[in-house]
Amino acid sequence: MIRDAWRKVRGRGMLEETGGMRPENLVWVFGTARTGSSWLSAIMGEVGGYSRWHEPLVGHLFGNLYYERAGHRSEDAHFILGARYRELWLGTIRRFVLDSAAARFPGIAAKGRGYLIIKEPQGSMGAPLLMEALPESRMILLVRDPRDVVASNLDAHKGGTWTADLMRKGGKEKPPSLAESRPDAFVKGQARRYVRDVGNAKKAYDAHGGFKVLVRYEDLRADTLQTMKRIYSELEMPVEGADLARSVEKHSWEKIPSEQKGEGKFHRKAKPGGWREDLTARQAEIVEGVAGSLLRELYPVRSTA
Amino acid sequence: MTLRFKRAWRRAVGKGESLRPRARRSSRGVRPENIVWIFGTGRSGSTWLGSMMEGLEGCAMWNEPLVGNLFGNFHYFRVGGRKTGRQYILGEPYKETWLGPMRDLVLGGAAARFPEVAEDGYLIIKEPNGSIGAPLLMEALPESRMIFLIRDPRDVVASSMDARSEGSWLSERREAQRSASKQTRNPNVYVRMRANSYVQQIEKTWQAYRAHGGRKVMVRYEDLRADTLQTMKRIYSSLEIPVQETDLARSVEKNSWENIPEEEKGEGKKRRKAKPGGWREDLTARQVEIVEDITAPLLNEFYPHTAATRGAL
Repeated sequence: MIRDAWRKVRGRGMLEETGGMRPENLVWVFGTARTGSSWLSAIMGEVGGYSRWHEPLVGHLFGNLYYERAGHRSEDAHFILGARYRELWLGTIRRFVLDSAAARFPGIAAKGRGYLIIKEPQGSMGAPLLMEALPESRMILLVRDPRDVVASNLDAHKGGTWTADLMRKGGKEKPPSLAESRPDAFVKGQARRYVRDVGNAKKAYDAHGGFKVLVRYEDLRADTLQTMKRIYSELEMPVEGADLARSVEKHSWEKIPSEQKGEGKFHRKAKPGGWREDLTARQAEIVEGVAGSLLRELYPVRSTA
Repeated sequence: MTLRFKRAWRRAVGKGESLRPRARRSSRGVRPENIVWIFGTGRSGSTWLGSMMEGLEGCAMWNEPLVGNLFGNFHYFRVGGRKTGRQYILGEPYKETWLGPMRDLVLGGAAARFPEVAEDGYLIIKEPNGSIGAPLLMEALPESRMIFLIRDPRDVVASSMDARSEGSWLSERREAQRSASKQTRNPNVYVRMRANSYVQQIEKTWQAYRAHGGRKVMVRYEDLRADTLQTMKRIYSSLEIPVQETDLARSVEKNSWENIPEEEKGEGKKRRKAKPGGWREDLTARQVEIVEDITAPLLNEFYPHTAATRGAL
């Protein structure tokens, strides 16, 4: 019955009336916040034929209810994202993304050429659902040492930093953060968030049968151009070497004005291993305790302090 | 937003159709105008009301799909200032592109789950815990009908507290999920939290109710308890749904409080006391104060005669 409903929906073109956006032209960047996804996607979005969709949060929309708030209802036939009707709602997710992408990036949709980089670190919780709904699309799993990720977040959430400016722009004052009142509790919360986001993104990566590449932030920092070439090569996407080199240069750390870098700024220190200066021994231990399994898997050589 | 999308949507909405009218016309799915939403908040009698409606021929009930929670919780509470942005998936400038899939998610889900009410039947969607998304759902499905079910917040909070007390029907489920209930740890904190969620859900329901141009009715739980049959008749009449009075009376009788076996009623049970004003026995004076402070504008609007009891207890 469900397969019939799915076929009916498909047969009527409900799912594939997508304004012309081709799913294979979508490139997802998953991981978690503060892993360098803004930097990576800026480099890619700058190259001819590529555009960038900055954090649609579609992964968060579906992932948050499915995995967290209503995780216990997945076998309930009445639940809108229930297992029994999976094909049906995955079809809706697919349309959601393709319709929205086509409306925002009509140039790519109309030509049927070019690629759309979807920077979605904060929607990584929903990566397994998105990749299952759009199996033709490409995927970058961008990871960074969880201790550096947590250290970066600890800095970002203190008073008077760029996150407070961002909230002010949205008309709100940043409430007091645990980052200042109870830093160890904040660290634990961030480590858990890392496990949730990167853990789900890794699951999606392992299951994905299409083009995909795993990138470590540390490699991207050590040799940006070579790592970028590897990304394009593994995703089988065309790129002009000179174009790429120009974009890498334009977005390099050295090109960011000094006054825009440093503690409390969006561009902080970009220094792999900087957590040794930023976290207390207890905080490093907390992160290693919570994210130990992912740390060993992604960073087998340097997994503990 | 491309001009093409905007024009197509306006044309479709102007005709009362979706972006995919051909698909909908030829489908054997549930007709959007035969969908009846029950919004409000948990512990306001929505299961009882839904059961009475489901008991009639040609009716089915979709029990808490949480589709409103999916979109509403995210859109209104999680994304902050991004709502007006062009990047955010549910961004206002691109509304037309996501209302269509949202509509299809409901209609597709309904068609697959309830083929028995396709074409001519009615589908009652009991969605109190998804009321946060009522404005979005009613905009995506403007032809559908809406019931705004409201209950005194003090009774809602009292009932929710009982449901989460140790050994109750809900705490058993929660134990399985291993989440400690705030009610057990700190009752007053829980009261505050529940009163706040009442406000969120009822305000969004009210917003959707006011904006909805189609058939709709507002029902107070207290009226439903005082004279169930008359209130049910009013619901069907306001929603313009034909019903045989004898059938309705039978369903009302079958689902009446008196017909529930004694062992299924009482403290800690899903059916607790069904007694409007029972909060006077259940809440402490401090808890009443907390609820009344938080829900004051809604109490004044919907329960003006008993809006504040501070000092009277």
